[in-house]
Amino acid sequence: MEALSGFYVMTYRQLKKFSRARSRVIGTIVNPIIWVLFFGLGWSGVFNFPMAKQLFGGVDYLTFLAPGVLGMTLFLSGFISGISIIWDKQFGFFKEVLVAPTSRVASIIGRIFGDSLTTLIQLLIIFALLYPLAGSLSLMGLIPSLLIAFLSSMMFSGLGVIIALKMRSLEGFQLLINLVMMPTLFLSGALYPITTMPYWMKLLAYADPLTYPVDGMRYFLAGTSALQPTIDVVLVTAFTALSLGISSVLFRNTTVE
Amino acid sequence: MSDSIVVEDLVKKYGDLTAVAGISFTVKEGEIFGFLGPNGAGKTTTIHVLTTLLKPTSGDAYVNGYHVVREAQKVRESIGVVFQDPSLDDDLTAYENMYIHGRVYGIRGEKLRIRIDELLEFVDLQEFRNVRVKKFSGGMRRRLEIARALVHEPKIIFLDEPTIGLDPQTRYHIWEYIKKLRSEEGVTVFMTTHYMEEAEFLADRVAIIDHGKIVAQGTVEELKSMIGDEVIYLKLGRGPSNGGSVPCLEASFIKECRQLRPGEIALKVGNAGEAIPRVIELAKEKGWLIKEVRYKRPTLNDVFIYLTGKDIRESEGEAGEKIRHIIRSRLAR
Ligand SMILES: Nc1ncnc2c1ncn2[C@@H]1O[C@H](COP(=O)(O)OP(=O)(O)OP(=O)(O)O)[C@@H](O)[C@H]1O
Ligand SMILES: [Mg+2]
Repeated sequence: MEALSGFYVMTYRQLKKFSRARSRVIGTIVNPIIWVLFFGLGWSGVFNFPMAKQLFGGVDYLTFLAPGVLGMTLFLSGFISGISIIWDKQFGFFKEVLVAPTSRVASIIGRIFGDSLTTLIQLLIIFALLYPLAGSLSLMGLIPSLLIAFLSSMMFSGLGVIIALKMRSLEGFQLLINLVMMPTLFLSGALYPITTMPYWMKLLAYADPLTYPVDGMRYFLAGTSALQPTIDVVLVTAFTALSLGISSVLFRNTTVE
Repeated sequence: MSDSIVVEDLVKKYGDLTAVAGISFTVKEGEIFGFLGPNGAGKTTTIHVLTTLLKPTSGDAYVNGYHVVREAQKVRESIGVVFQDPSLDDDLTAYENMYIHGRVYGIRGEKLRIRIDELLEFVDLQEFRNVRVKKFSGGMRRRLEIARALVHEPKIIFLDEPTIGLDPQTRYHIWEYIKKLRSEEGVTVFMTTHYMEEAEFLADRVAIIDHGKIVAQGTVEELKSMIGDEVIYLKLGRGPSNGGSVPCLEASFIKECRQLRPGEIALKVGNAGEAIPRVIELAKEKGWLIKEVRYKRPTLNDVFIYLTGKDIRESEGEAGEKIRHIIRSRLAR
């Protein structure tokens, strides 16, 4: 019972904070829109020839890109919200949680859960905007996609927490974000198919945790994928469990040293 | 057990650096215990160990009878903490900050709501109940943190430099709350400070810590009596029976009597407060006319200088503190 209250209250906190941080909400929605409009529509013009659809598994480029943009959003939003625990660490709220008698595992999972809920809200908004633009997105596929999105957003949030707990200061924070973000995005197949990548790059793509949510969501939303959707789902689930497990253990054993 | 905190030979090292070098003390139930020391003395480290956030390198500590390592959970349930660094959530309102705290400590519903209102009243923040902490001044934040630490009715509250960086007036207000806290909520208070006046004003007993060691402890009076006597200065007018020269007063409680200049004498006594009425009586008997009475008591600062050879106010101190505050407020926005 007591563990539940830690979980509940951290979820509550993250949702409350999200609803107050208007600039963050707008930022996370505007960013993908810019990608879709300027990047997506730009390339759509290029891929506007008869054989083009074959390049993207039989769908138009915007339909292909849409799950990629959702993946990109959940990755950024999840990762940044996870890593933002470093601000709590720097400015005290962290200690308030550490000194509480509630289960630390419950509170960190509650925090990650809450952040992932906010990510899901953002994804829904983006999907609503994308739906009329892209040629053939499946509405039916939205539910399994959101499930995948939720799991993987917890995975990235957990990953952010792990990194933040290991970091001693805010120095290198920006560098780290840039260093992680670009490769993760480009290798994930969010913007172009994995199947046509050079062999060495494919190997890296398979090591990219963002590859599987993007591929899985693409299967359900666009009806095309590079891998078996079951593989995607299994791997996403496994990565998520791993990420939550490690972040819980780290947080449980945290001291203020 | 009537000891709220028992610390035995506590040592805490950070790598090679010994922050706390074997301290022992006890805090009695219901008292305000002041932990006084300059910057870097080991005050925060001690609080972190006592509040289970740091594991001691060696030694033992019990809070409310529970061991801080082996029974950390029990300790956490029974304490409230106000950290040196701000720990409120700026995006949330005063009420929400307290609500989250209450829920984390397993309080809920009507009971929690009533308790929060009661405490917001206690620290005079009721009218700012639904204002985001972002807009609060330093003093308001501190008050809210104190109120928050009380939500779950802890037996002991730890205050780490509760008035650091606040202006004198705000500081005085916080002191009033701390006094009230003991009288109205009946909690034991363990507080650290590097302000002499703060320890003098608030603490029933004080431990002075320097370089990780306790150099003295006791009531403020006891500490002051360590460096000895208080001095009474008398200015005399001409009395009927002392034609011109001023002789001295003699009595068992007067340790020394000196004439400073004609018409002015200094009396060394153990306790000036008790001695003054008797001195006046004696003077009357002799028919002296007293024009002025002054006395000087040693301050805690004198005690600190006596024990450590340096002035607490000058030791490394304020400059570093100011810089830290500037950095903090910059990073915060
Ligand atoms: N996490 C840490 N790692 C290494 N050294 C530390 C750490 N925290 C504190 N110290 C060092 O331990 C010593 C005691 O620090 P502590 O914070 O306990 O002092 P303090 O009495 O609270 O001082 P202040 O008035 O600055 O708050 C200092 O020399 C400090 O630099
Ligand atoms: Mg300190």
